Amino acid sequence: MTRFDAIDLARRTLTDEPVVVNLGHAAYELFAAGDRPLNFYTWGSMGLTSSIALGLALARPDRRVVALDGDGSLLMNLGSLATIAACSPANLLLLVLDNGQYGTTGGQATPTAGAADLEAAARAMGVRRTATARDAQQLEGALEASRTTPGPWVVVAKVDESAPTAKPPLDCVLIKQRFMNALAADSGSRTP
Amino acid sequence: MSQTDHHSGSDFRKPAVPRWAAGVSDGLWDGGCREVVYVPDNPLSHILAALERSHPTVRTTLATREEEAVGIAAGLYLGGTMPALLMQSSGLGNALNAVGSLLIAFQIPVVMVVSMRGDPGEWNSAQVPIGRAVRPMLDALGVSHLSVEREDEARDVVVSLAQLAFGTRLPVACLLPRRLTVPAGGGRS
Repeated sequence: MTRFDAIDLARRTLTDEPVVVNLGHAAYELFAAGDRPLNFYTWGSMGLTSSIALGLALARPDRRVVALDGDGSLLMNLGSLATIAACSPANLLLLVLDNGQYGTTGGQATPTAGAADLEAAARAMGVRRTATARDAQQLEGALEASRTTPGPWVVVAKVDESAPTAKPPLDCVLIKQRFMNALAADSGSRTP
Repeated sequence: MSQTDHHSGSDFRKPAVPRWAAGVSDGLWDGGCREVVYVPDNPLSHILAALERSHPTVRTTLATREEEAVGIAAGLYLGGTMPALLMQSSGLGNALNAVGSLLIAFQIPVVMVVSMRGDPGEWNSAQVPIGRAVRPMLDALGVSHLSVEREDEARDVVVSLAQLAFGTRLPVACLLPRRLTVPAGGGRS
């Protein structure tokens, strides 16, 4: 399973969920797989994808929120797992695309290429709903579980690096305004 | 119970909130902030106490690090709320890249309330370098900032900064000098 395969599989399960996606290759591949106004593409602030998604999940408990993070990024902000566990938003899925490398910067190995285990880290911080998926079938199962059992969920998808073929718009303000407009447009029309 | 409190009225478990802290709390409320993300320190604990007492519907969320707090606040804004951050000046140093590449780049407004270390009244030399750099760092990023110099102006300073932030979609900073937050000659912590 490549990172693109995992992103595309996750994307196909989405309905009206806002998605926060990590900068670099993950954002590029989500855009290539299927752009939508409810995708919030980051272009900086490495490490904060899970935190942005947490804030969004707290502000919008009526909406399921999905974060697409990377292993290198989550390793920059492991405290986020403790905060997610403490706040415990039932509507948050943190999907970590774990390729064991800093894919966007040239493929240098991250600690998850060795002994580091981000699912175990999530559990150690108090997140109770976790899974590690090593192929597409396991990822489908974990994503389905995250839809039917209240979270917060941390799912680690072990993936191979893939080569992005497109990039989202570089206009950060456009990305934000489009996202907020889409999120506000159907607020009130859905209840928890 | 036999304990009594000689400083703050009848309930010894609730010491009096300093006037500046009540002002910041009221300013956040009047400025529209219903979400506060924080990494605590001693002065900021007075603001949290004031919020709990006077504005208990404000949700306070503890972050493990100030950079993380910026991310959470950004998400709270994307979800339609008006967030504030409470952090110590040392923590502003931890948060700078997120202020630049998330808040400013995406025009995400947040009111950052910054409790100063390293300014007059400081006793710990390790706090001085970043304390001295707070205003130059904010200026270099183009972040508007005001300092609360008198306790009776705290509310109005925060309200005016919140208006600037949420009206123009920019992060702003409200600095709380030690001369305001720590009794003269005290505060060795």
